[in-house]
Amino acid sequence: MVKKVQALVIGAGPAGLCGSIAIAENGVEVLVVDEGLVPGGQLPKQTHKFFGHEGFFASVRGFEIGEKLYNDAVNLGVKFLMKTTVSGIYEDVIVLYDRENERIYEINADYVLIATGASERFISFKKNYLPGVYGAGAVQTLMNQYRVLPGNDFLIVGAGNIGLIVAYQLLQAGANVKAIVEASNKVGGYLVHANKVKRMGVPILLRHTIVEAIGEERVRGAVISEVDDSFNPIKGTEKELAVDTICLAVGLQPSIELAAQAGAEIKYIPELGGYVPIRDENMKTTVDNVYIAGDLASIEEASTAMIEGYIAGYNIAQKITGLDLSENISKMKKELEEFRRGPFSGKVRKGLKKFGVEFPEGGFRTEPQKDEGPAGKLRVKIECPQNIPCNPCETSCPTGAIDVGGNINGLPYVDYDKCIGCGVCVMKCPGLAIFLVQELSDYSIVGIPYEFELPEKGEKVLLLDRNGEIVGEGEIEKIVRNSKGKTHIVYLKVPKGLEDNVRHFVRHEEKEEEIVCRCEEITRSEIEKAIEEGYTDFEELRRYLRISMGPCGGRVCRLQTLSIISLKTGIPISELESGRFRPPSIPIPFKAILKGDEKDEI
Amino acid sequence: MSRRVVAHPILGDLIEEEVIEFEFEGLKLKALKSDTIASALISNGIDIFGFSESGKPKGFFCAIGKCSSCLVVVDGVPNVRACITPVRDGMRVERQKGKGKPVW
Ligand SMILES: Cc1cc2nc3c(=O)[nH]c(=O)nc-3n(C[C@H](O)[C@H](O)[C@H](O)COP(=O)(O)OP(=O)(O)OC[C@H]3O[C@@H](n4cnc5c(N)ncnc54)[C@H](O)[C@@H]3O)c2cc1C
Ligand code: SF4
Ligand code: SF4
Ligand code: FES
Repeated sequence: MVKKVQALVIGAGPAGLCGSIAIAENGVEVLVVDEGLVPGGQLPKQTHKFFGHEGFFASVRGFEIGEKLYNDAVNLGVKFLMKTTVSGIYEDVIVLYDRENERIYEINADYVLIATGASERFISFKKNYLPGVYGAGAVQTLMNQYRVLPGNDFLIVGAGNIGLIVAYQLLQAGANVKAIVEASNKVGGYLVHANKVKRMGVPILLRHTIVEAIGEERVRGAVISEVDDSFNPIKGTEKELAVDTICLAVGLQPSIELAAQAGAEIKYIPELGGYVPIRDENMKTTVDNVYIAGDLASIEEASTAMIEGYIAGYNIAQKITGLDLSENISKMKKELEEFRRGPFSGKVRKGLKKFGVEFPEGGFRTEPQKDEGPAGKLRVKIECPQNIPCNPCETSCPTGAIDVGGNINGLPYVDYDKCIGCGVCVMKCPGLAIFLVQELSDYSIVGIPYEFELPEKGEKVLLLDRNGEIVGEGEIEKIVRNSKGKTHIVYLKVPKGLEDNVRHFVRHEEKEEEIVCRCEEITRSEIEKAIEEGYTDFEELRRYLRISMGPCGGRVCRLQTLSIISLKTGIPISELESGRFRPPSIPIPFKAILKGDEKDEI
Repeated sequence: MSRRVVAHPILGDLIEEEVIEFEFEGLKLKALKSDTIASALISNGIDIFGFSESGKPKGFFCAIGKCSSCLVVVDGVPNVRACITPVRDGMRVERQKGKGKPVW
């Protein structure tokens, strides 16, 4: 028997869930069908905090947004059929296949909202079929939903938001990310996302691509190479990377099959992700009772998917009930307009214009703040240089010290008189782009947002700069745990003058904790004692302790030693004598030196 | 090598759950009750799920049921998508070679 529903929603991602909520809020019965094992679409595999504003769950982690929306929908009486694929939309009937019970259902619906999202693109390179070449979303699904890592050492292809986020999530799951390659000459994703992985030492190689996967049965490595202006690999620039997994994050394409079957007109609009159904500003396709929302309509992000879901849902509810929902609809349209004003929506604006749906641009602050605030005061340092639709910094600050200047795409400014250094914004910022700094007389404090296993108070750590380079050694001064939000703040004691460089740290390995100079096995306390005895100069310490006289030539211990001197004496590293750099800088066997005598050519 | 993510700074520790046993190519393997066939295989260090018609090794690719790269034979039935099929106690999984004949 053909069952009949008033409204059918296909896809339980953010777009479908919000659509179903908007419809059910108005007393209409809704059935949501999704082929996944759990509702939420892309959300359950997202462990990072989303951008946007609080009204659409900014600062909340993706999987929590999914749970929240699903519960809201269930509470409104929305019915869900999971593990069920909509396998065809015919003129008179819609066919569902229930995988678990191995059953076919036929249903009819007065209105259909299609929110099937998108699928991942594939690219061609030699041996791309090998096991070990996986889509970015697949890697996320496995590690975050099923808690298994499909490898240890990853190469990521694509530095859009997805590639950058997957890299960060891999680091959180304990994997190594050897590199991110990106064919274009700039990072396509948000810089705040890129900065999170850069400061942990993950190289982002621009103008690079993958040319070959190495291995017979599975991936054992990858060959990357530079590309020219037309993205063709340049011969002779190939490099081999020892990785066991290649993760493709090269874009998404809308899943249009069902919309096409429903008779909606499809057009090729590359700015929107490829073939997309044409729709009007109410998300209605060219078929009267078929609406779309989310990534299916244009590859974008979760906040806009949610808003589009609401717009489609309210329109459907209005048609079914005859109620006037124009107020709800125009409120959501206004939201969408505000979100889409920024530069990252440029493509979508251009694409939508092709079928007459126009969105205004601009109207937000683009000039970064120059004032860095009064030195010596504990205050925030915001490193969020792009116009992205995001404002939790503004809305979370209890003293109202931050504002993004009206439109959500504006750059944040700090009122340093109002900032009390409480750190709330540091924990809330989804870009992990807010730091705390304070210059003290003997050392400086840097507070960093931290989402990894916490170090111990008092622990000595290696300090990393924005590119993940070791710039010195510091100490964990204080840790403020955030058990709910999971973005903790780690306050580091850093040598004076490094407060503007240090943006991350690594822990010494347990065993080597106290050893500063590995070659000569000199410990921190020996160095500290020597400084107390009056050896406050690197050269003096070297002669006294034999520090940095070993085969590494001081590579490992020089900065650490300088940091210890700086922390103990309060003199910035830049003002300390760095000691002489003696050749040879690496150990050279005598044989090589003798050979060098024989022949003079290289 | 265990590929389980046991501790996670955001998701917390892996909650102990029921361990089940299934068979893969004659080997007895362990899995968690919440695993799909794909996650169960990966956690056991198995990346090759089958072979193409021409003999090329195949693994999963999308993990959400879209690409059909992960087809395996389950209890004699071919063309089962390992990535969206929950693993079951006593299940017999084999590598699929080529297209796999439909079973009626
Ligand atoms: C790795 C990654 C990171 C991201 N990070 C962010 C971020 O930080 N911030 C942000 O705002 N956005 C982010 N996004 C984007 C965001 O997740 C998507 O834009 C959003 O999920 C789109 O929502 P949707 O509802 O349109 O589609 P989806 O969430 O993809 O949901 C589509 C649903 O439809 C179902 N479906 C498809 N076809 C059928 C069928 N035939 N029958 C039944 N069900 C079907 C699918 O199972 C799926 O559940 C990210 C995306 C990815 C992949
Ligand atoms: S540290 Fe506290 S007071 Fe200062 S800007 Fe952030 S939230 Fe506001
Ligand atoms: S600084 Fe503000 S606008 Fe920038 S990412 Fe953080 S919360 Fe968003
Ligand atoms: S991995 Fe794509 S369908 Fe299973």
